[in-house]
Amino acid sequence: MKRQGPVLLAFIIGMLMLIQFFTPNPLFLRIYNLFLDWKQVVLGCTLILGTWSLIRHHTRKIERKQENWQYSYVTLIGLAAMVLAALIWKTEGGPYTWMFQNMQVPMQSTMFSLLAFFVASASYRAFRARTFAATLLLIAGAVVMLGRVPVGALIGGSIGGHEVTVSTVADWILNVPNLAAKRGIMMGVGLGMTATAIKIILGIETTYLGKSD
Amino acid sequence: MKAVTPRGESRSPSLAALVVALLFSVVLSAHPSGAAAPEGRVADTPDDWGTSLTLTWTYAGPPEEIEAFEIRRHAGQAQAPAAPAAADSIDMSFDTWGWALVDSAAPGDTVFVDSDLDGGTAYSYAVVACLGAVKSPSVPTPPARPERQYLRSATVNVLVAVGVFMALVLVLVERARRGADLFIRRIAGLEAVEEAVGRATEMGRPILYVPGLDPMDEVATVAAIDILGQVAKKAGEYETKLVCPNRDPIVMAVAQQVVREAYASVGKPHLYQDENVYYVTFSQFGYAAAVAGYMVRERPATNFFIGKFYAESLVLAETGNATGAIQIAGTDSDAQLPFFISACDYTLIGEELYAGAVYLSRRPLLLGALKAQDYAKILILAAMVVGIALAVASPGTFEAYRKLLQ
Amino acid sequence: MAFYDRMMKIDRRIIYLCMTLAVALPLIAPIGMPVQVSDETRGFYDHIEDLEAGDIVLFSFDYEGDVMAELNPMSIAALRHLFRQDVRVVALTTYAGGTGIAQGILERVAAEYDKHYGTDYVFLGYNPDWSGTILRLGESFKATYPADQFGKSTREIPLMQEVETYDDIALLISIAGSALSEYWAIWAGGRYGVTVVSGNTAIQAILIYPYYNAGQIPGFLGGLKGAAEYEKMVGKPGLGIKGMDAQSVAHLLMLSFIVVGNIGYFLSRRHEARLKRE
Repeated sequence: MKRQGPVLLAFIIGMLMLIQFFTPNPLFLRIYNLFLDWKQVVLGCTLILGTWSLIRHHTRKIERKQENWQYSYVTLIGLAAMVLAALIWKTEGGPYTWMFQNMQVPMQSTMFSLLAFFVASASYRAFRARTFAATLLLIAGAVVMLGRVPVGALIGGSIGGHEVTVSTVADWILNVPNLAAKRGIMMGVGLGMTATAIKIILGIETTYLGKSD
Repeated sequence: MKAVTPRGESRSPSLAALVVALLFSVVLSAHPSGAAAPEGRVADTPDDWGTSLTLTWTYAGPPEEIEAFEIRRHAGQAQAPAAPAAADSIDMSFDTWGWALVDSAAPGDTVFVDSDLDGGTAYSYAVVACLGAVKSPSVPTPPARPERQYLRSATVNVLVAVGVFMALVLVLVERARRGADLFIRRIAGLEAVEEAVGRATEMGRPILYVPGLDPMDEVATVAAIDILGQVAKKAGEYETKLVCPNRDPIVMAVAQQVVREAYASVGKPHLYQDENVYYVTFSQFGYAAAVAGYMVRERPATNFFIGKFYAESLVLAETGNATGAIQIAGTDSDAQLPFFISACDYTLIGEELYAGAVYLSRRPLLLGALKAQDYAKILILAAMVVGIALAVASPGTFEAYRKLLQ
Repeated sequence: MAFYDRMMKIDRRIIYLCMTLAVALPLIAPIGMPVQVSDETRGFYDHIEDLEAGDIVLFSFDYEGDVMAELNPMSIAALRHLFRQDVRVVALTTYAGGTGIAQGILERVAAEYDKHYGTDYVFLGYNPDWSGTILRLGESFKATYPADQFGKSTREIPLMQEVETYDDIALLISIAGSALSEYWAIWAGGRYGVTVVSGNTAIQAILIYPYYNAGQIPGFLGGLKGAAEYEKMVGKPGLGIKGMDAQSVAHLLMLSFIVVGNIGYFLSRRHEARLKRE
């Protein structure tokens, strides 16, 4: 029953959700809205679960003096400081907003900006004309890189009455070969999603119960 | 005079109707108007539960003379003013004969959906063009009854597709259950899992498993957790530490349970520690920073990036590459695939990810469902080929080709 | 190490240093690259331009601090365009970290155009479940957001009196650093029929093309380039146009490294072939 109960529940709720998509019956719409409301409530509650896990992970690290345990203090102090600031001074103005604007946002932006460096090093390493396919990738990559910045529009000229620049070629690459490949992947992903949903409804897939085999 | 509210229509005309009818002719003669009358039609609103009707109308006169349209409704058939007249007298006539004023519409409008109706009743409608001091009513529409539909017509194609797909899944799952040999091609990234776990064991370093950034309702996350179970079994067999930081608390709870059961299934339940499968933060780059920091400090020998990823993918993969770890990635996020391919040793592309757990576990039930996906894809391709053939063969296309050649 | 080997194995730190200079120098000394407007950006612009005064737009800030350098210029330019046309805005964010950013931008741009909270714009704030939020808004805005960001009941806010479902929304704008724009298009657009346009980071923009070509997202701003093009169309140059020089130089630098790496690769192959012949 421990396993059958949730599987049965998933089947009933899954079928209700499936039926509501096809029927205009207002009863199913009400059920659908009810589940959407509850989904938000449950998701809010899981944040407590996550926070508890984070605290436990780091307190244990400190207790056991595991390698780099000092950093765990930074995490816990940061967590406590943001929560307390929000509780004491609220989220409009005050220390919370200051910490958000001047600490969290710059730190997040820093992480994102690392991408510029990593893209440079990864593309330098990966774009080698080792094979014919790799050469095609290299050429396409170079054209798109140039075409996505203003300088791309300045390189090119008129061919047969048509304006052909690196930017127009880049747009063609993005809109035709790139799009064809993406549509293929998207179709597979869509089928995968539908298959997984059906497997969950039919009780074939039970990973969400924490058991993959 | 009886007050009429939008929902308070009366079904029986009062005696005053006679008086009004007499007055009506007098009023009409006093206000001769050449105003055109709207022409209204009412029909059942499609795809609803039998609670609304759709009224459409046309107006032949110049649109600029219209101030607004008024919508009048009566349950069943009833008498109504039939010619343009002074606004007051038209209102009085309608009210007297029990026509409810439902709503008004802007001069450019031609459609009105009247909802929250009684499913068992037939309703007649009149559209009244307001022309300043004069109102011009339409001839009342024949009564129409809201009809109940059990299926949204726009979803019929989806229903057929889901039905066919569900049938395919059931048939192939049954075939797999009976022991049919269903072929899956070799997937290099999954063949390398054993080697990757073995390498971590030899080096005495942990394995890092990142199950993507999306919640449990994402199919890539379901696949990631499935593969986690298989990787955890191998890690358990080799007694190698497996670390799994999470961005979603529900995914974390499921991952903990999967790893616990995987260790138990290979007879090593004591190896499981909750703190190795933990929550980090919901912030995308906060999470990336924490995982990258872990890679730099602890230098795991093997990194798995399996699931749904976004812009942080390269931060993770490139940091792992710099630390010299063997890296296996798998995602259906097509924008991130180039980054993983350039920075990882093996990459599972799109559906290879979904096939991952089936490939590693060879569970017949899941194998059947995987095969169903292949057959569905063949059906879609066939439909596309037919569609393209029809489009090419259509007269419009020939015309386009002709123009192009000219 | 042979010279061609060095060309193939340039130290990461050298690449990073060059990249820092390539981004920083054009910001300090701008070059002034010309900006040409793409069809995607024109689609985004035209959909806002076609709105009438008094229309209501749903504006979703689907990002947080990490991508604000790339997306803030879009949000600011789009809000300026909307307020300039006297379009009313119902804003929300699908990220907890997006509340501060959204609030700051809304207040700043609203002040520029003398727009008032509650009548000209509303900020509904953050709801933890983005998928549930997108779907639930199709049934009821007020049930999804009983209160705005500041705790005021949405039933008491004048602008919200006119918004019940997506039917009351003339256009939905999603400025996203993740796949949220796609989800808005699939669920809000596909299921509830609202028109969705988006602004996306350069990485995510690649994913928008299938939706753009299928007409599901009839216009979008792709990365800083899209922001620059849009700023040009709106006639208010901002951070997008400023960043174009830096991005151009950074891309040229990346290409230079790739060319150097490949020259080294060909030289090494030639050397290997010569050794074999000998």
